[in-house]
Amino acid sequence: MVVLRAGLCPGLTEEMIQLLRANSIQTVVDFVSSDLEDIAQKCSLSYKALVAVRRVLLAQFSAFPANGADLYEELKSSTAILPTGSTSLDQLLDSGLYTGEVTELMGAPGSGKTQVCLRIAASVSLGLKQHVLFLDSTGGFTASRLYQMLQAHAEEEEEQASSPGALQRIQVVRVFDIYEMLSALQELREHLSQQVVSSMGPLKIVVIDSVSAVIYPLLGGKQSEGLAIMMQLARELKTLAREFSLAVVVTNQVTRDSSTGPPKPALGRSWSFVPSTRVLLESKEVTLGKATTQRIASLAKSPRQPVGIQAELDIGSAVVTPTERL
Amino acid sequence: MGDPFRRAESGTQLLARLEGRSALKNLEPYLFAEEGSPVHGDVIEFHGPEGTGKTEMLYHLVARCIIPKSGGGLEVKVMFIDTDYHFDMLRLVTILENRLAQRTEEIIKECLGRLFLVNCSSSTQLLLTLYSLENVFCTHPSLCLLILDSISAFYWIDRSNGGESLTLQEMNLKKCANFLGKLVSEHHLALFATTQMLMQKSANSAESFFPLKLTHETDTDYRPYLCKSWQQMVTHRIFFSKQCNSGNSKGFTVTSCHLKRNHVVKRSFSIAECGVQF
Repeated sequence: MVVLRAGLCPGLTEEMIQLLRANSIQTVVDFVSSDLEDIAQKCSLSYKALVAVRRVLLAQFSAFPANGADLYEELKSSTAILPTGSTSLDQLLDSGLYTGEVTELMGAPGSGKTQVCLRIAASVSLGLKQHVLFLDSTGGFTASRLYQMLQAHAEEEEEQASSPGALQRIQVVRVFDIYEMLSALQELREHLSQQVVSSMGPLKIVVIDSVSAVIYPLLGGKQSEGLAIMMQLARELKTLAREFSLAVVVTNQVTRDSSTGPPKPALGRSWSFVPSTRVLLESKEVTLGKATTQRIASLAKSPRQPVGIQAELDIGSAVVTPTERL
Repeated sequence: MGDPFRRAESGTQLLARLEGRSALKNLEPYLFAEEGSPVHGDVIEFHGPEGTGKTEMLYHLVARCIIPKSGGGLEVKVMFIDTDYHFDMLRLVTILENRLAQRTEEIIKECLGRLFLVNCSSSTQLLLTLYSLENVFCTHPSLCLLILDSISAFYWIDRSNGGESLTLQEMNLKKCANFLGKLVSEHHLALFATTQMLMQKSANSAESFFPLKLTHETDTDYRPYLCKSWQQMVTHRIFFSKQCNSGNSKGFTVTSCHLKRNHVVKRSFSIAECGVQF
């Protein structure tokens, strides 16, 4: 909702705006959707000038259609596929995380969502030497575990890469409600659009663990406001991914329609449309008391691969200290 | 209406605009209940939960349109408005590669040259973009198909921005719907728009969408929630669903309803590397 004001576009003078206001035309939408001949008469303004202003306003505020062939050329150079650090998960995702889209990891508590997120961060930072933004809303981010992963990764690759350097490329922001999350993303957008590379460096991925933790408190009751903020977050994530060629990874809880029904993503129908790709993480066998590091990842949604394919992955056999099991 | 663009139209352009768009026959006969192809001026709504193949079906239609006649396509131009930010160009290219006999980079780019893509991030921007597209439709007579994926994208945000007043909540979408109607009828387009299944059918749905004799045939939990102007424009509504048991090779189903004549047809399809297959 942009209000008409002098200087908004060439040819739109203060005098014109006063006359338009008198005829209850206040915003850009009011102006471009009204009958200009009619306005010209009512406000005794030049029709030609009004037409010119309308054209400029439309050019300024509408989105411009791009030709498919040009877009394809652009995508070929800007799209990257980021490794997740696990070969089987990469295969499931058709070789990795695609930039430009939102990927969701869903699973019950303890299904390994955070571990997979840490693994992704380690792999992108160490393997690709790219920066990572990690938004932690549950307090689940553990630097020591990440360090273990980096070391394991470095040994595997037989690299001399220094893990501290890789740690420095991972920026962690703790956000405990949706407003903090939105402002962190806003800050990111400003950084990226000003191309400030000083502290951030080339950023390829944003990991959000978890998105449900900040959205849950908004839902319920008189729902529409909470849902609106949720969709605002969704929109921000998707536009960031598109405009700056980022891969966005979010984690979500699961729920069931009935006690025996198949698991489905939490946060309801409106959210279910948001991620392009969705992976369900589950423990291999439900044995109480005996922790296993084996997980099964199944593809629940994908624009590229058949849905339902599965992969086994090991979320790491590194020394698990009691604090990390939380 | 004081339209700056229309005034600049010459007689030849007018003819091109009205005569040039005639080639939507055989777009996808399986999608429609009876006459087999959308007529210019038709508004087709795709409705369904996530992951039921709506966007995939749009890729299928886009591919049918932009492939040259020599390759079995319709060779017409398409305008794709992506409000959900999930149009996947690489997926479309994969589908094209699988369908073209000669899959050279040049042919692919020639096909993609017939596609226009625009992203909109708010209902206001959508409305202003629709206004500005009028000029594009005037200057590209072979643009036959307008696709909007999805028209429900801004539902919750608009609802919250409008406060208590339903009129304010629906204002932008209503204007969009009215203008879409104008574009479609004046420029002889076919419009395909998706609506997401955001709500469950209300338990006491006295106002059933289907006439009684059809209710049992369709069996979908459909609840119209977008503004009246949109509901009244739609000529075909196609419901998408997915079977849970993956044993069936054709896992997806469309239920196509011709709203004016109350015809219903049900068909299943599968999605493979090369796209939608009936």
